[in-house]
Amino acid sequence: MSKVNQKKLLVMAIYAAEIMLKNGAETYRVEDTINRICRSRDFPYVESYVTLTGIFISVDTDGEDLNDMITYVKRINKRVINLNKVAEVNDFSRRFVESRMPIDEAMAVLKAIDTTLPYSITLQAVFGGLASGCFSLLLGANVLEFFAALFTSILVTYSIHKLKQADFNLFITNIAGGGLAAFSAIVLSSLHASVNLDKVIIGAIMVMVPGVAMTNAIRDSIAGDLVSGLARGAEALLIAISIAFGVGFILQGWIFLKGGILPW
Amino acid sequence: MVTYIQNFIFAYVATIGFAILFNTPKSALLKAGFGGAVGWLLYSFINFKSDNIVLATFIASFFIALIGEIFAITNKKPITVFIIPGIVPLVPGFGIYFTMLSILEKNYTKAAQYGSEALLISISIAGALTIVLTLNSYRKKKQPIKIK
Repeated sequence: MSKVNQKKLLVMAIYAAEIMLKNGAETYRVEDTINRICRSRDFPYVESYVTLTGIFISVDTDGEDLNDMITYVKRINKRVINLNKVAEVNDFSRRFVESRMPIDEAMAVLKAIDTTLPYSITLQAVFGGLASGCFSLLLGANVLEFFAALFTSILVTYSIHKLKQADFNLFITNIAGGGLAAFSAIVLSSLHASVNLDKVIIGAIMVMVPGVAMTNAIRDSIAGDLVSGLARGAEALLIAISIAFGVGFILQGWIFLKGGILPW
Repeated sequence: MVTYIQNFIFAYVATIGFAILFNTPKSALLKAGFGGAVGWLLYSFINFKSDNIVLATFIASFFIALIGEIFAITNKKPITVFIIPGIVPLVPGFGIYFTMLSILEKNYTKAAQYGSEALLISISIAGALTIVLTLNSYRKKKQPIKIK
C-alpha cells in the first residue's frame, strides 16, 4: 500500500469519527471505530484518544522508517444530537472493515451520510409538542392542559432550534427555552382556571432535559473515559441548571408583578 | 386497568416524540417507543404499589435498558438509539422544577427534599443503566476483535 493511500485512509477514519462525535456518539464507540477502520487496512500501530471536544489519532506503518509516523488532531466545536447519523456511520464502519471497499468510495458514502438532512423542524416541533402533551397527560393533566403543553412545547422546540442555528451557547439557549416555557404557561394558565401552571411547565421542559448527555456520561464513565464522562456530566448539570434558571427568572418576575402572593 | 392501557399509549407517543427530537432512525422509532412505554408502565405500577419513586425509576430504567439491549443485538444498531428516548420520561424534570419553585418560595427545607429526590432518581437511572451496559460490554469482550 502506498503512502498516499495511508494518508487518505487516515483522513477517512477521522472524518467518520468526526461525524459520530459531532452527532452524539459515546467516546469509546468513536475510538473503537477509528481503531477498527485503521487495523482493517494493515496499520500495525494505531492509537486514538478521543474526548468530547477533540480527536487525536497516531498511526505507524511498519516501525522501521522513522518518517512513517502520521498524527492527526481534529478539534470538535459544535455538537448536535442526531442518532440517525451515529447509527449510519456505525453500520458503515462494519461494512468497511468486513469488505475490501476502496477508500474513495468509502469517502463518498461518508459524505452522503454527513449531508443527510435531519427531520424537518416542523416535524420535530410537532412531535416535541406531542411528546410534551402526552407527558403532561401521564402526570394526570386534563384536555386543556394537554393542548397548553402541546402549544408551549412547539414554541419552545422551534425557538431553541432557531437559537442553536444562530450559534448561541448551551447556557443562553436553555435559559431562553425555560423562560419561554414559563411565559407561555403563565399566559395560557391565566386564560382558563382549569389549566394548572405546574403541569404545563413540566411537560414543556421535558423536551430540553439532558437525557442524551446523562446517558452518554454514564456510558463513558463505565468505559473508563473519565475525562469525557465528567465533561458530559457537567454538560447535563449545566443544562438542568439553566432550564431551572430560565423558568425561575420568569416565574419570580410574575410573582413580583402579582404582588408576592402565590395564586396556586 | 384502563388507566394503565391509556398510560401505555401516552408513554408510547411521548417516547416516539422524544425519539424524533433526537433524530432516531425511522426503523427504530416504534421499537424505542415500545421500550419507553413498557418502562413507564413498570414505573407507574411500582410507584403506585410501593410509593417508592426511586425504586420504581430503578426497575423501569433497568427494563428499558434490557429491552434496548435486545433490540440493539437483533437490529445491529447502537444501543443508545433505543435507550435514550426511553429514559427521557423518567428524567426528573418535575424534580428540577419543584426544587426551583421551592427556592423561589424561600422554602429551603422543601427545596433540599425535592433536590435530593431528583438527585437520587438520576443516580438510580445511572445505576440501572450501568448494570445492564456492563453486562453488554462483558458479552462483547467474549468476541475477539477481528484484526484484518
